[in-house]
Amino acid sequence: MMSIGLLMLASLVVITLFGTWIAPYNPSETSADSLAGPTAAHWLGTDSIGRDLLSRLIVGGRTTLLITFVAVTLAVCCGLVLGLFCGYVGGLADQVVMRVLDVVFAFPVFLLAIAVVAALGPSVPNLILTIAIVYTPRLARVVRGPVLSVKRWDHVEAARSVGVSEFNIATRHVLPLIVSPVLVETSLTLAQTIFTITALSFLGLGPPPPDPNWGAMLSEARQFMELAPLTVIGPAAAIVFATLTFIVLANGLRERLDVASR
Amino acid sequence: MRRLVLIRLAWMLPILLGVSVVAFLLMRALPGDFAQASAGTTELAPEALNIIRRDLGLDRPVWEQYLRWLAKLLEGDFGDSFTTHKPVLGELLPRLAVTAELTLIAGLMAMAMGASSGLASARWRGRTDWLVRGINGLFLAVPNFVIATLIVLLAGLYFPEVGIFNYTPFLTDPLGNLGSMLLPAFSLALAVSVTISENTRAAVLEVSSQDFVMVARAKGLRPSTILWQYLVRNALTPIITVTGLQLASLLGGSILIETIFTIPGMGQYLFDAVSSRNYPVVQAIVLVAATIVLLVNVLVDVAYARVDARVSYE
Amino acid sequence: MATRINESTLADEATFIAAEGLKRRSLLRLAVSGGTLATLGPLANAQSVTPKRGGTLVIGADADPIGLDPVTVTAYSSYDFTALLYTGLFRWNADMKVELDLAAGYIAPNDTTYIIRLRQGVKFHNGQDFTAEDVKHTFDRILDPASASPSATLFSGIKAVTVIDPFTVKFELKAPSATFLSYLATNPNGVIVPKGVADLKTKPVGTGPFVFESYEPNQQFTLKANPNYYEDKQPYLSTVVFKFFKDQASISSALRSKAIDMTWFKDPKVSAQIVKSSPDLASAPGKTSRTFPVWMSMKAKPFNDVRVRRALSLATDRKACLQTVLGGSGKVGAMVPESQVGGYDGVGPMPYYKTDVVAAKKLLTEAGYPNGIDLGDYIVVAANALDVQCAQVLQQQWAAAGIKVNIKPMETAPLIGLWLKGDFGLLSIALSWSPDPDAIVSRLLSTGSQGKGIGMADAPLDKLIEDARAILDNTKRAAAYQQIQKHIADQAYILQIYQYPLRWEAWRKYVKGYVPLAANIRTFVRTTWLDK
Repeated sequence: MMSIGLLMLASLVVITLFGTWIAPYNPSETSADSLAGPTAAHWLGTDSIGRDLLSRLIVGGRTTLLITFVAVTLAVCCGLVLGLFCGYVGGLADQVVMRVLDVVFAFPVFLLAIAVVAALGPSVPNLILTIAIVYTPRLARVVRGPVLSVKRWDHVEAARSVGVSEFNIATRHVLPLIVSPVLVETSLTLAQTIFTITALSFLGLGPPPPDPNWGAMLSEARQFMELAPLTVIGPAAAIVFATLTFIVLANGLRERLDVASR
Repeated sequence: MRRLVLIRLAWMLPILLGVSVVAFLLMRALPGDFAQASAGTTELAPEALNIIRRDLGLDRPVWEQYLRWLAKLLEGDFGDSFTTHKPVLGELLPRLAVTAELTLIAGLMAMAMGASSGLASARWRGRTDWLVRGINGLFLAVPNFVIATLIVLLAGLYFPEVGIFNYTPFLTDPLGNLGSMLLPAFSLALAVSVTISENTRAAVLEVSSQDFVMVARAKGLRPSTILWQYLVRNALTPIITVTGLQLASLLGGSILIETIFTIPGMGQYLFDAVSSRNYPVVQAIVLVAATIVLLVNVLVDVAYARVDARVSYE
Repeated sequence: MATRINESTLADEATFIAAEGLKRRSLLRLAVSGGTLATLGPLANAQSVTPKRGGTLVIGADADPIGLDPVTVTAYSSYDFTALLYTGLFRWNADMKVELDLAAGYIAPNDTTYIIRLRQGVKFHNGQDFTAEDVKHTFDRILDPASASPSATLFSGIKAVTVIDPFTVKFELKAPSATFLSYLATNPNGVIVPKGVADLKTKPVGTGPFVFESYEPNQQFTLKANPNYYEDKQPYLSTVVFKFFKDQASISSALRSKAIDMTWFKDPKVSAQIVKSSPDLASAPGKTSRTFPVWMSMKAKPFNDVRVRRALSLATDRKACLQTVLGGSGKVGAMVPESQVGGYDGVGPMPYYKTDVVAAKKLLTEAGYPNGIDLGDYIVVAANALDVQCAQVLQQQWAAAGIKVNIKPMETAPLIGLWLKGDFGLLSIALSWSPDPDAIVSRLLSTGSQGKGIGMADAPLDKLIEDARAILDNTKRAAAYQQIQKHIADQAYILQIYQYPLRWEAWRKYVKGYVPLAANIRTFVRTTWLDK
């Protein structure tokens, strides 16, 4: 499980880093040969304005995955900080921060995305920001839970009574215990983020043209499904592959780390 | 426990207030307003636009607009839609009902599919197990709007006589209504069924490895009764909580399904309202959606607390 | 039907003219002025079979109406509905010529006066009789600033509307206008609303062939045939239902599965595909009525340099855009679409239209940009897929000449705000059919607010435009507008790429008697019948 997941992840990372070099054509290069089927020149055919589908899938993957990785990393960092803070400090500060996060949590994702895009313009950094904001509360919650229970454990109390600083307790005792649930939650969030990004692009809120991205490609291709089914199947398969990678990773991690929580 | 629930419910009010303020400001931060949006490419003189704004109260300062809205809300009046000039509540409730119905049917489908596949997977290990888990992985990875799109395409190509877009309201024709909801609900149900399947499978596996099964057998009880009791007691809680969470977030996911199948639910309503800068409608939807999400969160936390006694919520 | 109108009109008019004792000059004007009487057109051929009565026509629509009061309506999506609910003094026929509708005949005793005789025995949907009072009421409302009517600017040339008797109305204009009748013929601008009916926005009452029945937002809009409609035997259908869909893919599926009988598509490739795959679907492209321009704001560098603008025009391969984006369904465009007075029909040379990347680079070097130039943001309407596609094709073409742009899709409302003020570098917003080419070219007047906003300062062009407005002879008008368009292309004030039909209509073959109109409204649903 784990090994398959890591292999798939590796391929995604390669695409993210080297996508522009691997792609056979410039993904923005238009031609009059629109909606063509697979040929020797274009392995997967062309899209509605004659651009090479394979190149667009690869470079589109790069954009989608870049946003995913960066946004989720951002969310995890913020979530870790907030979750540790809340779980550790507790009391009123915890309550207040959690309720503020609840406001974000309660906000419909799409409204937030639509608003950010309309106000600031559709661009890669804005999309990263939106995703990070949306998923931070979730991760903070995941971190906070174990921290709350762990900080009362006997050996932690013991360390405290001996005089170990809170900071050391936090980093040396508590942190390792939350690694597993955070890792699992992170890979699940990665999978969900792919869904959110493609869904947002599908609705027209993603990175602007001519930058290719899977969700927008899928949405645009729906009209031409019969003329050129690959324009639909290509992005769909790509989305499925990426999501599957993170799910397989999550499952593998769960098995490895033997997380017993329900 | 009761105190905890009451505290969380009490916190809901300020949170909802915060959400409504954020929504209010966010909408006004968007470029353009309703007057401009409705004019489209027709050029209206600024005076004409201002007349429209004055009629809708958009020329007052923002804080005054908010307080007016709040005051009306406390009387139970959600205001009138800018586009149809009809009360928002009257338009919102039927759409909420539609989305709720869609969600409910999806939930039931998911439970049926998930429970049976999970059971099959655990009972007959080996290849069935492998197959089911593989398919589950696939279901989880395919976005529901992709499934919906493919369904629409296939239906149009191979079953052109089947009417996919014949949404009829429930009161007009209950059977027709349910029929038109089946495919969209199916698109939504697939992903949710996976979690149910996994949880059912895990619970059943745990049961078969327990000693008390042997004890119960010795006592003369049938294994299926034990299985059922155990499932109900242990697997149902996580299933319901997870399903609840996923369904609560369906307001976002259902925008796409509602759009593709042209079902008049909340998701579509929200998207249209934002595009046309229909402020009262957006406020109302955000409020309702947030309330649902918060309520479900409270329920989930309560369920989690019951399951895991180690978590303390000081 | 058309025949009958003409005969009665001519007979009545002969009496009318004699009674008024008009000069010969006015009679000539009748024949020659902008409002030529109708020709029979394709409808005559279509009616060789006897139409069947009854049935429900289901039309797929992609947008809900916003308001149904023709005096105040601004959203284009409402036009489909006002076209069936209301009629005006005149209307467009299938060949885009003005013909009589609620008017039974008219006289123009001089350049600025129109005396219109009204059809008798017409009733509004609520049973009220149609009289001259309703005509006066309509135009009073339109011209009243409190109504905020978008038609107010179109009819700002009206000096007075007088009721002479219950079936005669007199219009007096401030100056001669070649397009007054064209505007009267345009739905919803020139249609007549009943006096004394308050809430037309949600409860429309008109004289049209169909009556409002019900409307469920985002779902369905139902209309029933008007039993008192004044055109003999029309409408044939008993019910018309509009069903709303959010996107093109759903509409295609709905059409294929016969959930709808008729619809229109934004993308010709989609329309072609669906008609190819279903043998019992018919389609018609309609007349080219929409242009795709690239606006430039010339207030500052580099757009104030005509060499840069001409270079941009030379770097553009219009034919390739047409082929790639529209699959060839359209024509190369100029300022005014072909289906109007003085439009450019896509053949014949326009200055700087011939693609020449080398010449473009040379001009750029002359202007001081030997290594190419970055023109910044190119704003397009996000919701128009064809526009966004063309923008991407253009971006590639311009890159070959060293011109770099950054495509920025934007929501329609804020985009229009920027456009009207001239706060942009490059911007594309398509211009649709309008009854009067003047409405299109006068955007470039240096005295107009928009012209000022984009930095126009071409006095000779201003004169050409203002002179063209007053020309009453059709042929002379056409020539004048051709000259204007050539001048605009020569100075490259605005880049026109292609022109195309606003929509591609498709319908099931059992839908008969329907004719798509370049005015982009479905008025011919009144002559439609179902052969089922």
